[in-house]
Amino acid sequence: MNKKGNISPPQWALRFFRWFCHPDYVEDIEGDLLERFEKRTNENRAAKRLFALDVLRLFRPGIIKPIKSSQKLNTYDMIFNYYKVSMRNILRNKTFSLLNISGLSVGIASCILILIYVNNELSYDTYNSNYENTYRVIHYYGEQGEAPNYQTLPTNEYQVWGNAPVAPAIQDFFPEVEKVFRFTSDAPWLFSYNDITYSETDILFADSTAFEVFDWKVLAGNPETALVRPNTVVLTKELSKKYFGDENPIGKSIIMDNEDPYEVTAVIEIPTNSHFTFNGLISMSTFRNSRPQIFTAWGYVDFYTYFTLKPGTSIEQLVEKIPAFLAAKFPNEWNYYVEFEPLADAYLHSEAGRQPGPGGSMANIYIFTSVAIFILLIACINFMNLSTARSVERAKEVAIRKTIGSQRRALIYQFLVEAILVTFIASIMAAILVIFGHSLLELISGKTLPIDWLFSVQNVVLAIGAILLIGIVAGSYPAFVLSTFKPITVLKGSFKTSSKGIWLRKSLVVLQFSLSIILLAGATVVSSQLEFLQKYDLGFNSEQVLVVDFGYDSEVQRKREFLKQQFLSHKDVEMVSVSRATPGDFFPNAGTGIADPFSGEIVYKGPAIYEVDEDFIPTYQMNMVAGRNFSDDFPLDSANALILNESAAKLFGYPNPQNIIGQSFEQWGRKGKVIGVVEDFNYVSLHNEVEPLSIRFGTQFNVSVISLKLNSQNFSKTLAELENIWLDVVPHRPFDTRFADQNFDSQYESDKRFGMIFSVFSALAIFVACLGLFGLTIYSTAQRNKEIGVRKVLGASTGRIITLLSKDFFVLFVIALAIAIPLSWYAMNSWLDGFAHRISLGFEVFAVSAVITLLVAFITMSFKTVSAALSNPVDSLRDE
Amino acid sequence: MGKHQLGEFEEVVMLTVAILTNEAYGFAIIEEMEKRLNRKVSIGALQTVLRRLEKKGYLTSEFGEATSVRGGKRKRFFHLTSAGKNVLQETKEQRLGLWNAVPEFVVKFSH
Repeated sequence: MNKKGNISPPQWALRFFRWFCHPDYVEDIEGDLLERFEKRTNENRAAKRLFALDVLRLFRPGIIKPIKSSQKLNTYDMIFNYYKVSMRNILRNKTFSLLNISGLSVGIASCILILIYVNNELSYDTYNSNYENTYRVIHYYGEQGEAPNYQTLPTNEYQVWGNAPVAPAIQDFFPEVEKVFRFTSDAPWLFSYNDITYSETDILFADSTAFEVFDWKVLAGNPETALVRPNTVVLTKELSKKYFGDENPIGKSIIMDNEDPYEVTAVIEIPTNSHFTFNGLISMSTFRNSRPQIFTAWGYVDFYTYFTLKPGTSIEQLVEKIPAFLAAKFPNEWNYYVEFEPLADAYLHSEAGRQPGPGGSMANIYIFTSVAIFILLIACINFMNLSTARSVERAKEVAIRKTIGSQRRALIYQFLVEAILVTFIASIMAAILVIFGHSLLELISGKTLPIDWLFSVQNVVLAIGAILLIGIVAGSYPAFVLSTFKPITVLKGSFKTSSKGIWLRKSLVVLQFSLSIILLAGATVVSSQLEFLQKYDLGFNSEQVLVVDFGYDSEVQRKREFLKQQFLSHKDVEMVSVSRATPGDFFPNAGTGIADPFSGEIVYKGPAIYEVDEDFIPTYQMNMVAGRNFSDDFPLDSANALILNESAAKLFGYPNPQNIIGQSFEQWGRKGKVIGVVEDFNYVSLHNEVEPLSIRFGTQFNVSVISLKLNSQNFSKTLAELENIWLDVVPHRPFDTRFADQNFDSQYESDKRFGMIFSVFSALAIFVACLGLFGLTIYSTAQRNKEIGVRKVLGASTGRIITLLSKDFFVLFVIALAIAIPLSWYAMNSWLDGFAHRISLGFEVFAVSAVITLLVAFITMSFKTVSAALSNPVDSLRDE
Repeated sequence: MGKHQLGEFEEVVMLTVAILTNEAYGFAIIEEMEKRLNRKVSIGALQTVLRRLEKKGYLTSEFGEATSVRGGKRKRFFHLTSAGKNVLQETKEQRLGLWNAVPEFVVKFSH
């Protein structure tokens, strides 16, 4: 044959053919292809194209190599065989597989749920595009006297709540600052649209720069102009729906507090992971119009100030200039300082007081993460223990595999594949559990926990990685132990128990139970501390006190005396008091000056302030320790009298409260004498010690709640009758009520939720540990089947046998207890340190958790031990 | 009677293998078929059928010697097995039986 030049067939086609063709056929078919190609080139036909076409036509079943048996035939088949044997093993030992898989799936599900929770906590405020560049001002309000060293002043001496003029001053002084945004603390407002009227809480005044600093989702309206004009209001989606339904609310007017119409300029949605939330924003210009003097007063505290930096500038540049800033801007009246705190620290890392919203706790995140790891660890230990315990049954399989020529490495692979398979099945179960558990967790935590972030490609890869990792961790020990078995010993039959793993197995059980006891003790401490808080003598009694909130409604303020009389005429009402706030509510601080005990000079401090009437102290059953309460007999009390609490008396230098009576005071433009000292009562959460407090007579314009001390058997009836009285006097104002004790307890809500989440996961951990214990009991009972039979034949009682079977575990339990008690004592003590008023950690906490763990363990074991002890010895002995 | 019915293409391929006797390898079969039957045959179609027939046991194959042509690749020569011969015989008899049963005029008119 004449070869024409050096024309060769297209290499890609040839390579493709060699790749797909069945290895048995590749040589002769390739020969045919080439022969035909050569012939065609001789005939000057489009040989290359036809060659490619021929190759493509060969790409058909019958010619293509089978997927299963390639050159890597052996590896593939072995892995398939591993899978097959694993599957058979899982199906054959249904009890053990069930224990393993359910334990692991609960463990994995708990882990994922905690991950969802923790991720949500860590995601706070990250929705802001300026997240990294946003800071807020924290203020230090000192008293008169020598200034502290501001460089070393701890952050918890500062508060986030501050004054109004600092915001424009910052904008003016620091060229690095891009936008400054202020908002006020929340207040209730009466909203009316058409015939719908409700009292709405959490309404703030906000600067027009709101949307340039925070990226709240604007659903309707123009964010740039929304908060510019006076008498404009921005609503959240929920509020808009409440008043306008499906109507477009933009441009419509809401009558606020029965007075002025406010135009709705925007509807927004605040992400749930925002460190402060609200229901509506009113333009700051509205507030400025009504009280312009506040906006220049450095001492009037009602504002939160946030600002963003220009790109390329750093906060350090600003911090250096703080002293110069204050020197230039602050009228040096008293000790005052500011610091800047990054938005990133606002939710989890801020120690400053007076936060705009509930803060998270980094400690809780650490606790939850450790709980998650504990549960997963317990589940993995179950897997290890059950696999090694059952190794005797697998020993023959291992021996035969080795005899046939399996290498140790291959055996390790096999057991790892089995572990990974179990983990995989458990993960699928876990995914189902998470779907159910998620809504439950949302309910317990009281938060919206988004899970859409879970379904990214990255997380799927991570999940697969995690499954492999858990499988390898759980499967590594059995894999390495089982693969060391010597075929001769096993096959000769002299191999009976795997005494090798017994120590490790026992230590793992000890570890499991230490963890369980730690978690249980933790849950016990948390719940008894919460109970302690509930029952703590606060120094006042708010039981059966109904609080009517009228949000500074001027009509109600005007008719307050008449309302008091009307309420008192009801037979179930014992006392009525009008005040600015009730214990547990928000309260301001007031610059208060009192004569120094030695020099007689007026010294200024900043205690908290309550504005009340003469019936407040008796209504809440507070005790006077010196002097007297406000009284109708002294008409000038409303203008020149002040009551302090014991802490405040001490603050001003009067350890003996008697001595402060009659001293002069100055406060918020009022001058007079201190007339009484009230016993310290816990008006804020018991996380803190009682702070100094001043109590003054509230003027008509400074009161917003009415407290009714009731003595009622039928609350719903009484409430309905009281509402009628209310509506007769002030029909325009809804009867907005709450119970004072519930209101006070709501301060502990986050503690309660923490306790609940902690208890649930601790219970799950113990459940998983018990699954493992149950599995081990089944195994050890089966091992000692014959022994039990012989003992019974020889006359052992059922009780003796149960004791025998449980004895081993009891020793382990005692060791676990010895490890767990010091660890949990240390951990829980540091948790309790977060409370000013806390329980002391007694022995009973550990006794209770030890007894519970022991009891649960014995009950778990008894499912098996009792039936073993009751079994007929004939059954276990006859097969020999 | 055979359970295995030969397809038309299978039958043609087997007959060609029989014609070529000791020279029946892939490309030679194609050439022969293209020459005698005047029809295009792709390597893919042929090879699939050859392997199928081999699997059914009608054909066997063996490698020949390597030569310098066709890129040094060996040829695979196909032979009829006795089962293959039987099935061809059977097919032929069936066809003849059918032909004999056809009334003569029908065939004549159809021309």
